[in-house]
Amino acid sequence: MIALVEFLDLHVVPRVDDESSWKLTAEMVALSGFSLIGLTVPTGLLSSRLDALRNCFQDSGIEVFVRVDLACSKRDDLLKLLRRFRSTFDIIGVRCTNHNSALVAARDRRVDLIFFDSAARHIWFDDSIANVSNAKLELNLSALCEAPNHLILSRFMKDVTVARRHKVEVVLSSGATSPLLLRTPNQMVAIAEILGLNKQDAIDGLSAIPSSILTSNVERRSKNYVEEGVRITAGADQEA
Amino acid sequence: MSRRYVQIKICSHVTVTEEQVTQALTGSIVRTFGEVGLSRIAPKLIHFDSRNSTAVLAFAKDHAVEMQAALAFIRQMGESEVLMMPLKTSGTIKGLSSS
Repeated sequence: MIALVEFLDLHVVPRVDDESSWKLTAEMVALSGFSLIGLTVPTGLLSSRLDALRNCFQDSGIEVFVRVDLACSKRDDLLKLLRRFRSTFDIIGVRCTNHNSALVAARDRRVDLIFFDSAARHIWFDDSIANVSNAKLELNLSALCEAPNHLILSRFMKDVTVARRHKVEVVLSSGATSPLLLRTPNQMVAIAEILGLNKQDAIDGLSAIPSSILTSNVERRSKNYVEEGVRITAGADQEA
Repeated sequence: MSRRYVQIKICSHVTVTEEQVTQALTGSIVRTFGEVGLSRIAPKLIHFDSRNSTAVLAFAKDHAVEMQAALAFIRQMGESEVLMMPLKTSGTIKGLSSS
């Protein structure tokens, strides 16, 4: 058993129009052993509804970060969306729908996570994407739990092999769209080990790596942040 | 063969039976690891509490990873959706009851 590590699931997709399911999802997340989650919400969600959703999870003792998933087939559209939403959301994930958009997303420093649709046959995490990747590769394990079959398993195994070859960090997420698709950290680590990650990398993929993403994004959104490596310090002290 | 024990919570909208749990577990292991994997993991349902929807399973100590993964891959029992959530793992049954 793994203990004394704070686990994060950066990809939980609640049904925003079904308030009754929020409570159940929050309870299941807490029971699973996660202390912090990334909730994927639609970009146009009203702030009052988002606050209600956040409060529901916080009542169960879970810290919430808001995430958006972008999916574009054209480079310009993706860049436009990144410009628009980077400052609004805590986490930005990109669902790669074709090779060109995957390359753009992987290279762009505003993208935190890239992931691939396990059902899409024409696009996968290959060497050319891994070679330029600044983003982390996200494995949504619900695809395996929803319909475990050898094609999805081998696809994930290949992704892990390529990521390890190019030293791309792998983040493990549930990608759960329903409460019953959530899995415990132990189960997710076990699946990752089967996919070819070693135990420590799997644990890091649920704890240290997502935590570092959130830390840097919170810092990036603070008012003293100028750019990478540059912060306002003297002015901030004077204001205080 | 050295054994370990895992206590699981069965989350479902309907009540599940002992047979369904055994079938789902065996099916998941065979689908993922094959018959050889099943014989190596050697899972056994030790205790089942339908009222609290909990169960205790025994398995071969060296195959904890496969066991956890097989539990994670269980999505359905009969027609209903389920989640098999491991709560605690121990080397003894007594160890599961102590907090």
